[in-house]
Amino acid sequence: MGSLFQKLAFQVFPYIALTVFVVGHGYRYYADFYQWNSRSSELIDRDSLKVGITMFHWGIIFTFFGHFFGLLTPQDFLNKLGITSEIHEFVALYTGMLFGTMAFVGLLILLKRRLLKPRVHAASSTNDVIVLILLVFVVFVGTYNSYVKRFDVLYTIAPWIRGIVTLTPDQSLMNPVPWSYKIHILLALTLLGFSPFTRLVHIWSIPVTYFLRPYISFRRRFVDIP
Amino acid sequence: MKIKAQISMVMNLDKCLGCHTCSIPCKQVWTNRQGAEYMWLNNVETKPGIGYPKKWENQEIHKGGWLGNDKDLRLRSGGRLKKFAGIFHNPDLPRIDDYYEPWTYDYELLVSSPAGQRQPTARPKSSITGRHIEIDWGPNWEDDLAGANETALDDVNFSGLEKEVYLKFKDVFMFYLPRICEHCLNPACVASCPSGALYKRDEDGIVLVDQERCRGWRYCVSGCPYKKVYFNWAKGRSEKCVFCYPRIESGLPTLCAHSCVGRIRYIGVILYDADKIKPAASTSNDQEVYKAHLEIMLNPHDADVVFEARAQGIPETFLIAAQKSPVYKLAVEWGLAFPPHPEFRTLPMVWYVPPLSPLIAGWEGSETDIAKSDFMRIPFKYLANLLSAGEETPIRFALKRLMALRKWMRSLRVDHKPNYQTLDEAGITGPMADEMYRILAIAKHDDRFVIPTTKRADSENMYNDRGTLGFPTKS
Repeated sequence: MGSLFQKLAFQVFPYIALTVFVVGHGYRYYADFYQWNSRSSELIDRDSLKVGITMFHWGIIFTFFGHFFGLLTPQDFLNKLGITSEIHEFVALYTGMLFGTMAFVGLLILLKRRLLKPRVHAASSTNDVIVLILLVFVVFVGTYNSYVKRFDVLYTIAPWIRGIVTLTPDQSLMNPVPWSYKIHILLALTLLGFSPFTRLVHIWSIPVTYFLRPYISFRRRFVDIP
Repeated sequence: MKIKAQISMVMNLDKCLGCHTCSIPCKQVWTNRQGAEYMWLNNVETKPGIGYPKKWENQEIHKGGWLGNDKDLRLRSGGRLKKFAGIFHNPDLPRIDDYYEPWTYDYELLVSSPAGQRQPTARPKSSITGRHIEIDWGPNWEDDLAGANETALDDVNFSGLEKEVYLKFKDVFMFYLPRICEHCLNPACVASCPSGALYKRDEDGIVLVDQERCRGWRYCVSGCPYKKVYFNWAKGRSEKCVFCYPRIESGLPTLCAHSCVGRIRYIGVILYDADKIKPAASTSNDQEVYKAHLEIMLNPHDADVVFEARAQGIPETFLIAAQKSPVYKLAVEWGLAFPPHPEFRTLPMVWYVPPLSPLIAGWEGSETDIAKSDFMRIPFKYLANLLSAGEETPIRFALKRLMALRKWMRSLRVDHKPNYQTLDEAGITGPMADEMYRILAIAKHDDRFVIPTTKRADSENMYNDRGTLGFPTKS
């Protein structure tokens, strides 16, 4: 039974979540482009926003890149560069603690604001609250792991994730992994699958083109003026 | 020379009676929706006052518009990198309380309350939270100087004046300032948008927010020094005045202009040289921006300009409209209209004719002293701070012409002895006086609005364009 759950959780579910993630974004982009934005509430309650939103965004951005490069780069490759697993783990743990804490505290401030500031609460959808609570859980468990559990992921979770990405999943790698890590992964995958249907889509609209375009833009329509 | 056409407006403040009729059809048509309750794409302010939103003219606070140093032009709120890095929290965004918290009333209680000793009341409640609120500010809180003895102390147009004196009842003055989006030639909102959602229409210069590309980064709101881009709090997108383009395309004036009781609004085409925008806007001396702005407007009667405009594909209807443009006459030919706060360097295209005001009681001099002495109720300096970055000469010149026109018409109609001297002193010729009188005083519909129509060849694809053209497809 244990192994069936493990297969479903770490071999099937990741692909379901990723499929929903990809297809969901495509669907949303074409079917509901009009709602594709960050749903900012700064106008109606600016002063309570600054600290929480800044801490959360910078915390989560560094956490994301930490996960991305830390887990997807094979340790064998890093060894060749002279980055031993000890160094890797040390850096990963302490940056994780720092940025995880930042993101977590930021999220708590934002959640409190969303629930208790009357204007923000009134302008929030259920979806907004669910996604915020889900983020709180994911970040909490992840940060808890970096403080308390400190499990060596480099030869377990990391190769498992690379297996998922390269379509050669091996759920047996997850056998020795503690429950708190598994919960973090499952919650994160859930969030990933849910994200196309939330305000999180604004992540994909990072305005990099701002650096490329001239300040003043003109648009010409095809018009026929006599 | 890169010639472009711009639909622009002039408002004759001398005739504005502050009735707010312009605001009403605008509100009814464009912002009568949830999230847009607080937006007045057209609003009428009483000057002196801090306006809507509070202190919008003070860029030390709001950081809108541009800074120029002759070589370079940069956004006051910071460049691309600063905006990109701070995108999570825009410190310059106005708070909704700077506009006002939108409210409605419990009207239903008036009919549903049980019979009792007292009259039922309709208490105000917030349109955002639905809770009862105390109203302490509104979109037109300072109407007819209400409370201005306190609030107007923060009016930046008092710069260089003893504001305390002018806010005493004995010396007080006021006039109305109707405001819409300026549809600037160098719009800071467009430059501030990280997504590139705001744009100027190539054919007529109307500035629109592409509702489908707007991601709600909010920099347009703070970037606009006139605070005429609004953030829809319910939908998370920006909205702004669309210059009623569906009407303009059909040759009709905007709703605000058409409904204007005082007939103060003029709409016409201006041809300008787009290559000169950056040099003009970067002018370092605040007081020279107005002159530079005038210079980029092209004379539609000049044969070279007409030839070049045709070569560059400016439609014939736009050329003819530009030649008949009341805006060109008022702003360029006659020098009567001025851009609000040219020092913001966005090169606004909704200009104002400054208002005349009663002569100060007990003043004994001659009105020909207008170049030197201050004899009108509204200080020239105040108007200059509003309309020409503090440079009084062009304002005095315009007011002199307006006064001369009145004296001239009085000499014709009342005295039956034409007073040519008054025209000569103001540099007005006879035919010019006739035309000024016709356009400023009689102000027939067809003289005020000279608008070329735009036939849309792609009308069968209008469904696909929904949303990209400035206003939401769904409310």
